[in-house]
Amino acid sequence: MSQYWILVAILLPMVGGVATRFIPFKKEKQMFFFVEMYMIITSCIVWGLITGGTTEVFHVVHFVNDLSISFKIDGLTMVFAGLVSVLWPLATLYAFEYMEHHDRQNTFFMFYSLAYGVTLGISFASDMLSMYFFYELLTLSTVPLVMHSLERDAILATRKYLYYSLGGAAFALMGLVFLIVYGDTLEFQFGGVLNMAKIGGNANMLLWIYLFAFLGFGVKAAIFPVCEWLPTAGVAPTPVTALLHAVAVVKAGVFGIIRLTYYSFGTGFLRGTWVQDVVMILAMFTAVYGCSRAVKESHIKRRLAYSTVSNLSYIIFGVTIMTPLGLVGALCHMVCHAVMKICSFMCAGAFMHQTGKKYIFDMDGLGRKMPIIFVCLGLSGAGLMGVPGLAGFISKWNLAAAAVDSKNPVAYVGIVCLLISALLTAIYMMSIVMRAFFPPHDFDKNTIRNAKDPGWKMCLPIIICAVFTLLLGFFSTPLVQFFRTVAVGVY
Amino acid sequence: MDQSVLILFAIFIPIVLGVYLLARPDYKSRVSLVANASVGFAITTVLSLVILIEGDLRLDVFTIGKNMNIYFHVDDMSRVFGTIVTIVMPLVGIYAFEYMSHYKKEEKRFFGFFLMVYGVLLALTYAGNVVTFYLFYELMSLSSVPLVFHFRSREAIMAGLKYLFYSLCGAYFVLFGIYFLNQYTITLDFVAGGTLNMARVAGSEGLLLVVAMSMIIGFGVKAGMIPLHAWLPNAHPIAPAPASAALSSLIVKMGVFGVMRVVYYLFGAEFLRGTWVQYTWLTLTLITVFFGSMMAYREKQFKKRLAYSTVSQVSYILFGMALMQSQALIGSVLHILFHAVIKSALFLSAGAIIYKTGVERVDEMRGIGKKMPKIMWSFTLCSLALIGIPPASGFISKWYLATGSLATEIPVIAWLGPVVLLVSALLTAGYLLPIAIDGFFPGPDFDYKHLEKKDPTKQMIVPIMILAALAVLFGVLPNPVISYVTELVASVL
Repeated sequence: MSQYWILVAILLPMVGGVATRFIPFKKEKQMFFFVEMYMIITSCIVWGLITGGTTEVFHVVHFVNDLSISFKIDGLTMVFAGLVSVLWPLATLYAFEYMEHHDRQNTFFMFYSLAYGVTLGISFASDMLSMYFFYELLTLSTVPLVMHSLERDAILATRKYLYYSLGGAAFALMGLVFLIVYGDTLEFQFGGVLNMAKIGGNANMLLWIYLFAFLGFGVKAAIFPVCEWLPTAGVAPTPVTALLHAVAVVKAGVFGIIRLTYYSFGTGFLRGTWVQDVVMILAMFTAVYGCSRAVKESHIKRRLAYSTVSNLSYIIFGVTIMTPLGLVGALCHMVCHAVMKICSFMCAGAFMHQTGKKYIFDMDGLGRKMPIIFVCLGLSGAGLMGVPGLAGFISKWNLAAAAVDSKNPVAYVGIVCLLISALLTAIYMMSIVMRAFFPPHDFDKNTIRNAKDPGWKMCLPIIICAVFTLLLGFFSTPLVQFFRTVAVGVY
Repeated sequence: MDQSVLILFAIFIPIVLGVYLLARPDYKSRVSLVANASVGFAITTVLSLVILIEGDLRLDVFTIGKNMNIYFHVDDMSRVFGTIVTIVMPLVGIYAFEYMSHYKKEEKRFFGFFLMVYGVLLALTYAGNVVTFYLFYELMSLSSVPLVFHFRSREAIMAGLKYLFYSLCGAYFVLFGIYFLNQYTITLDFVAGGTLNMARVAGSEGLLLVVAMSMIIGFGVKAGMIPLHAWLPNAHPIAPAPASAALSSLIVKMGVFGVMRVVYYLFGAEFLRGTWVQYTWLTLTLITVFFGSMMAYREKQFKKRLAYSTVSQVSYILFGMALMQSQALIGSVLHILFHAVIKSALFLSAGAIIYKTGVERVDEMRGIGKKMPKIMWSFTLCSLALIGIPPASGFISKWYLATGSLATEIPVIAWLGPVVLLVSALLTAGYLLPIAIDGFFPGPDFDYKHLEKKDPTKQMIVPIMILAALAVLFGVLPNPVISYVTELVASVL
């Protein structure tokens, strides 16, 4: 496929989104159909692109010198773009039913589509500046989604989200500037672009800069100590939390960190330095911290949000091992976690949508009433805690294999952290499932008489994600094989 | 493929049937439920028997990733564990048909999960590599939890959760080890004598010893070994009696089985002998043996007493394994077999007593032997076997354990071990025999007038009697078993 299609893929959902806002649809159904159509077309284009084998850089705009907005397809792009393009149409389908009784649907879908285009922009960006550009746009385009309800807590949450994200981006910008000065080019190259001759005696300063930039991207990736915005942002409608705050936005942060570590600074420069230990320990700490907060939390969405905090740090842990295998583990968990977490968020949303309740202690006995939702929730929960045969086991296996292989004692401790966090995951996920399926014997069934599974538009994406969780658990070999080629920089 | 396909049937028929029972709406009549479940038990048992007799089957199902094959291999050790599963599960199942009729409403769920556990247990015994083993080990934890909190009182649910989280905690200790073994072994398949890749291990011995300890402690959780034993005295008594019997005699043994696989089939005894791992492990088991008996002796609640007894007895087995000496290992394997039979009979008779009289504490059981003679006779026989009075079976296994221990050159523990075993045997007599004595000889002030025969129906008595008979029979005619086990042990040590 010609590289101009990249532009089409990025612009189509944006244009479609704006059109959704201004076309006067007679019926909701027409709008739904229209939105779903261009989402699917975009996804098809994306898949055409990533399987098409275009590798040339495509410059869109030239600023001064070599600063430009330009796109390229490499291995990492394939993973991230492939992932979001599968999940976005599914989450949109889910959103139709979820948003049915909400106001201002067309505005909602406008920004939902915009965010799709922007996320694709991040994944296709071929250099730091282009990525930075879309990274900022992502923050801006998702703000209206978080505060969709326009209630006070939503607005407060949005403010928090905005401040955290913009602050993080500023730190990331610092990394960008130093890359301009000390690197050969801004373009992403596997193995890094730093020019040792230019660095001279400033290596230590550059390590500091890496740390700052890491923390900057780490805001979106919700790493401790800058993770608090994520649970707060859970006030957004569930399709937003499920897709953006479990996959697109947060994984864009992780994506940024991977670009920064493997494609800009280069692992050769970073491995074995103090900064590697620092970021690895941060990731390990966050993995345990997120889970322990999740155990304490009884609001279902906040619990899942903390779980996301923890799981994102698994990915970052993989990244900070700074070996090809580490990247394999990271990518693997990026995909597996996306599938499992979006599934569990959608289930949580379905529970909230069908019963109007938000807390875990209100889930007693619902398993029998909403079998599809709770079986899928149980499945994704078991996946998250790493039961073999499900996606989470595979990704943790790869992460741990990388850690063992690296022969780095800190990484050994990291394995322990992963397992502690897995145990905590079991506690906070299994207690939900237990409640739902095995309420205490004196439980009064009449209180949940009217609960039932939602309609197909919500069930279908949930079931598809649950099936993915299973499939990834059993047939991961080709995928892992692909990640291996990505992680040695073949693409 | 050919006959080895039977393995898949033996595993998945009960699992699928169990899921079907859980998912389908309630049966109109109890008869069809019982019929359905018993067909499941029957088919599985037959299949499992065929596999046991056939032996040495291999089946590579498929691979879920690099080094992660789902692979079954029925070797000699599998057959030992497969035997106890195949003896105990159907008998307990028959017993449960009567026992659970008391609790009409949720019988379907009980049998659903019970069948699943049956399949999963068989799968564990057939597992040919550590990944497959781990897969079914977790499934076992998950599918047996509903058995524990079956009655869903607050207490039961808390005990169930405790069981689940302890089990998972243990499983993650194990997983930690598997991650490292993946790097340091030639293959993750179980090979008698170990599969460590010595070229890679060189230089990292210290790390691998930590790994070994972590895996032993991890599997030790299920086996009720100190320090992570605390779930057992909560979870076993609170479950319905058939479930406690299965838990105490089989599921606990899968922890033992895991340790067996790790020590003798992955690391190899050679690697661990004489290291701090062995000494720590021996110490832990001896403490557990004594502690379990002591707690059982002090405990007044009947089923809880039996649960503590399990804690102690299973550590006999672990002690024998930790000695890494052939006599002792023979003793261990024998005790696996004997304890499974004895403990399930004990739990089933406790269940029968609770079922018929509602009495749950031992001090209220005076004269029980007069009311339920058949049950109490079986109970007494099994008690004697557990204490280790010749010629009942427990004597033989303990004999091997003690001689094995004395034959090693481990300082202190070589002689301390047998002493602890003897003290514990004494305590065992102390916590089991008074029940029988008070039961049969209630004393002159006992009210014989209002005595009524309360023996339960045949469905409950027959399984208990069969198990009790086996407990004695293994002691009287031990030679075929011993010769099989000796051969088995010779191949791993």
